[in-house]
Amino acid sequence: MLSCGEAMESISPEHVRVEVRRFWAILSGKLKDNLAEMYSPTAIVFTGKGKRSESAKLIAVRRSRQSHGAATTSRAELDSIEVQIVGTDAAIAAYTYSYHTDKIGADGARVQLDVLLGRATQIFQRDEAGALRIVHEHLSATTSPELKKATG
Amino acid sequence: MNISPDEIRAAVRRLWDFFSRKSKAQFAEMYLPSATVFAVDSRRMDLARLMLVRRERELFGPASSVAVKLGPIDVQLVVPDLAVASYPFHLSITRALPGGKRHQAEVPSGRATQVFQRDEKGVLRILHEHMSSAEQVTVKELPATGAAASAQVSR
Repeated sequence: MLSCGEAMESISPEHVRVEVRRFWAILSGKLKDNLAEMYSPTAIVFTGKGKRSESAKLIAVRRSRQSHGAATTSRAELDSIEVQIVGTDAAIAAYTYSYHTDKIGADGARVQLDVLLGRATQIFQRDEAGALRIVHEHLSATTSPELKKATG
Repeated sequence: MNISPDEIRAAVRRLWDFFSRKSKAQFAEMYLPSATVFAVDSRRMDLARLMLVRRERELFGPASSVAVKLGPIDVQLVVPDLAVASYPFHLSITRALPGGKRHQAEVPSGRATQVFQRDEKGVLRILHEHMSSAEQVTVKELPATGAAASAQVSR
């Protein structure tokens, strides 16, 4: 995790991009950091298909359970990440992405989830220790995520 | 001056009021010049000024209409001059297309995130917007408007 020393410098766009990539590396199971720690305690999230925003804490627990399942493989590809810095302590990251998950369900069937045209907004705030945390997240897809049961 | 949640809720309601009354100039004024937008049906992010040109063409004419019902508006105060509004909405749009065609779109489970920032005059304006739908958007074609249909026939 990147953090700043006592003399707080402005957040740099690259600093935010590193955190965004870290988020997806955790979600894809490629990094074993704690997903919940990426969020501020009061963060709220619109997931890809939720009708209402939810507490990030609950979402992080659910996602960690899914992504760390024994028989799950995930892959995320991010397009260029646009960053707007606001003052010294906040930044907005916005980008498009694709996400692919392949897992074995409880009934032994292989299930694939493809988000081909994903869109993401993540708003970061620097906490009192200087670490960037997500305070708000909105993930969406322009078409419903494609869910298919694969054979074999 | 710190932002209050009620100020943000009032700004969100003002935005939709301008949109549904087709108050083009006031609607455009709600966005900062550098604002970026993910529209409900867009694959990529656009500058708000491009979105405004498209909305002006398709949604602010006499044959178009916009009706919205907003759900509860959550407000997060991030830093002193920045706040995030997020809320569900139900949107019904009649969109006029070139050639007189009109499409009616229903977004029953819309979700909005709007990031507001105070400008140098102290006015709250949108810096970033992300609109999406939790369900498939349904679109149906409506009969062409009378004037446009006549124009097509007389060609």
